[in-house]
Amino acid sequence: MSTTLTIPKLQMSTTEGTLIEWLVDDGAVVEEGQPIYSFETDKSVQDIGAPVSGKLTQKLTAGETYPVGTEIGEIVPA
Amino acid sequence: MSHDLGIDNDTLCEIYTQVARIHQVDRAIQSGLSSGKFQFTYWPLTGQEGIPASIAPLVTSDDHMVTIYRGIHDQVAKGVPLKGLFAEALGRIDGVNKGKGGSPHISDPDSGSMLTTAIVGAGAPIANGIALASKMRGTDAVTIVNFGDGATSIGAVHEAMNLAGLWKLPVIFLCQNNQMGEYTRIPDYTASEDFASRAAGYGFRGVILDGNDVVAFHKGMKEAIADARSGNGPVFVEARTIRLGLHAGVGDTNHLSEEDLAAAKETWPVPRTRKLLLDNSICTEEELAAIDAAAETEVKEAIEWAMNCEPTGADEMLLDVYADPTVAPRRGQREQRAAEETHTGETRELPMFQAIQDAQETALELDPDVFFLGEDIGESGGVFRCFQGLQEKYGERIRPTPIAEQAIMGAATGAAIMGLRPVAEIMFCDFMGVAMDQIANHTAKQRYMSGGKTHVPLTVRTVAGAGIGGFGAQHSQSTEAWLLHTPGLKVVYPSTPSEAKGLLLSCIFDDDPCVQYESMMLTYSTQEEVPVGDYRVPIGVAKVKREGADISLITYGWQVMQCLSAAEELAKEGISAEVLDLRTLMPLDYDRIFASVEKTGRALVVHAATEFCGLGAEIACTLNDTLQGQLKTPASRFGAAYAPIAFAKPIETEQIPHAGTIAARVREMLK
Repeated sequence: MSTTLTIPKLQMSTTEGTLIEWLVDDGAVVEEGQPIYSFETDKSVQDIGAPVSGKLTQKLTAGETYPVGTEIGEIVPA
Repeated sequence: MSHDLGIDNDTLCEIYTQVARIHQVDRAIQSGLSSGKFQFTYWPLTGQEGIPASIAPLVTSDDHMVTIYRGIHDQVAKGVPLKGLFAEALGRIDGVNKGKGGSPHISDPDSGSMLTTAIVGAGAPIANGIALASKMRGTDAVTIVNFGDGATSIGAVHEAMNLAGLWKLPVIFLCQNNQMGEYTRIPDYTASEDFASRAAGYGFRGVILDGNDVVAFHKGMKEAIADARSGNGPVFVEARTIRLGLHAGVGDTNHLSEEDLAAAKETWPVPRTRKLLLDNSICTEEELAAIDAAAETEVKEAIEWAMNCEPTGADEMLLDVYADPTVAPRRGQREQRAAEETHTGETRELPMFQAIQDAQETALELDPDVFFLGEDIGESGGVFRCFQGLQEKYGERIRPTPIAEQAIMGAATGAAIMGLRPVAEIMFCDFMGVAMDQIANHTAKQRYMSGGKTHVPLTVRTVAGAGIGGFGAQHSQSTEAWLLHTPGLKVVYPSTPSEAKGLLLSCIFDDDPCVQYESMMLTYSTQEEVPVGDYRVPIGVAKVKREGADISLITYGWQVMQCLSAAEELAKEGISAEVLDLRTLMPLDYDRIFASVEKTGRALVVHAATEFCGLGAEIACTLNDTLQGQLKTPASRFGAAYAPIAFAKPIETEQIPHAGTIAARVREMLK
C-alpha cells in the first residue's frame, strides 16, 4: 500500500507552505524518519521525515509554494 | 546486572508497555500529520510519556481522570480504546465521542476518562466535583486532574485547590510541568520557584517529582494516591518533565537551544525507560522488542480501523445539544408541550423565597442524589433565606462554599457528570461572569462534546436584582441573554411563587443543565397559595396571564407584573392587551407565542434585559418572519436602554421598561 505525501498542516495557522528542496533523489529508498524534504511554513523551515520506509516518488518540483493537502509525492514499500 | 528498583518487575513491564503505546500513538500521529494523511490539531505530548505510564498500574477504571487537549498520553494510559481514540481525533462517527469532541475533547467514562478541556486550568474545578461524588457515594475512588505548568497561573486552579483542601476531596492536582506555558517559558510568566509549594497555602501537601524517572515518579504517585484514597484530602504533584515538541503541530520545540534540546532528549522517558529495564535485567531485548512491536501493531490496526469509519455527518448537528433534540431552536419550530394540570390538592400561602425553599426541601426528600452548594447557604440559611434550617436537617447535602463561583460551578458540573443532581446558588446573576467559562464551555457543552457519553443534570439558581434600586451596575443586571446564546443550557424565569417552585423542581429533575432566574422584585413581595409536595411546572410551557384581543405582551419575570399593570391601564382606554408569561426562555414555547399573536395580530416583547441583541429581538424577528401577512403591525421589542444599570433611582426607573412606558409603546403600535 502506498503512502501519499501531501503538504502537511503542521501548525494551527498553516494554510500553505513552500517545498524548498527534496533532500533525497526521486526513486530513492528511504527509511522511516529520514528527512525527505525541507519545508517552509509560517516563517520557519523544517525537515520533514519519511512517514514510512520505502521507495519515494516525487510528484511536484521544489521551490514552489503549495496549499495544505496538495499531493507532492508517494512512498511505496520497497 | 539486576538491581532492586523497589518496584516489582511486572509493574515495571506494565509501565514500559504504556510508554511504548503512548510513543507509538505519538509517532503515528506525527507521521500522519507530516505526510498529510491526517489533518487535525495536535498538541504533542512528546517527552511526557512517563507520567501517565507510571500512574497506570496504580489506578483502575473506577478511578477518574480529567485532562487537557495535550493529554493524549493520559488517555492512552487510562485505557481509552485506541480505535475509538483515533476515530475521534479524525472526526468519525465511531469515535469515542461520535467525532463531536475531537482531538482536544476526548472522554470515555468506561475507562474513567471523564472530561478533557481545551481551556487551560478549567479541569481542576470539575475534578473536585467528580471527587466529591465519589466521596458522597462512599467509594474510595481517586480523581486525578492533569494540567500543565501554564495552568498554575489561572484563577480556576486556585479556586479549585482552595475548595479541595477545605472539603478534603480525594483529588490529585497533577501539574505536568513541561517548563513551557504554550509559547512562554518559565520564568517569563511567574516568579514562583516551584508550583508544589503553593499547596501548603491551601492547607494540603505538595510534592515535586521527576516525571521523566518512572521509578521515582511511580513511587511518589503511589504515596499520593494512597493518601487521597484513604481520605486525607488532596495532594498537589508537580511532575517535572520537559516538552520536546511544539505547543501545537509537528516537530521539535523551538523554545530550547540546540544544546538544551539535546540535553532534554537525554532524559526522554521512551529510550530511558527501555534502557532502565534492559540494564537492570528486568526485560530482555527480545521482550522489549515484542512490547514495541505489539504497541506498533495495536496503533496501526486502530488507525486502519478509524480511517475506514464514516466522517460524522451533518445529520448529527442538533443531536446531543440536549437530551431531547426538539429543544434546540430552529426555524419553523412549533413544538406542542402539555401545560401543568390545575392543582386541586393542598396548598399553603407562601412568598416566593419560601416556595423556593419548599421546592429545595421537596427535592432533597425525593432523591438522595440531590445536593446544594453555594455561598452562605449553611447555618445562616442563605442570603435570600431559601435554606433556613436545611443544613441542620440534611447535613453534608447542604454545602456552603467559599466565595468562588468557578469552584462552585466546576464542582456542580463534575458531580453532575457523575450522575448526582447538584443545585448551585450563584448569588446574583451578575456573578455569572465569574463562572462563565465553567457554565458556557463545560456545563453547557459536555453532552455535545462527549457525543452523549455524559451529561450534566445540574441546576443553577440565581437572583436578578434589577428594579429594586440602589444595587448599582454590578448587582442589577438581567444577564439571561448571555446564557441564551450558549447552546446546551435551559433557562427558566418564574414570576409567581408557585411557578418558582414548580419550575425549580422540573429543573432539578431534568437531565440537562438548567438555570433558574429569580427576580428580587418578586422574591419577597409576592405571596400566593402554593401547592404542597412534588409540584411541577413543565419546562418550555408559557402561560397566558391575562386574555386580550388587540395585542400580545410577551414577557417574563418581574416584567410580567409591569405588563399586567400596563394592560390594566390600557383597558381603561378600550385597548385589550393579552399578557403571555414565557416562564421558560429556553426552550421557548413558540406554539403558545404564535397562538397568542395569531389571535391578536400584534406583539410587543418586553424584558428588563438590554433591548439591543436581547431575547425580544429574537422573538419579534421570528414572529415577523413566520406570521408575515397575518400581522396588523410588525412585532417589536422593548427592553432596557443601552447603559449599565444606574445607581440613581430616577435613571434606573426610566432605563428599564415599566407599566407607563410599556403602555405608551402599545398606544404607538396601535396608532
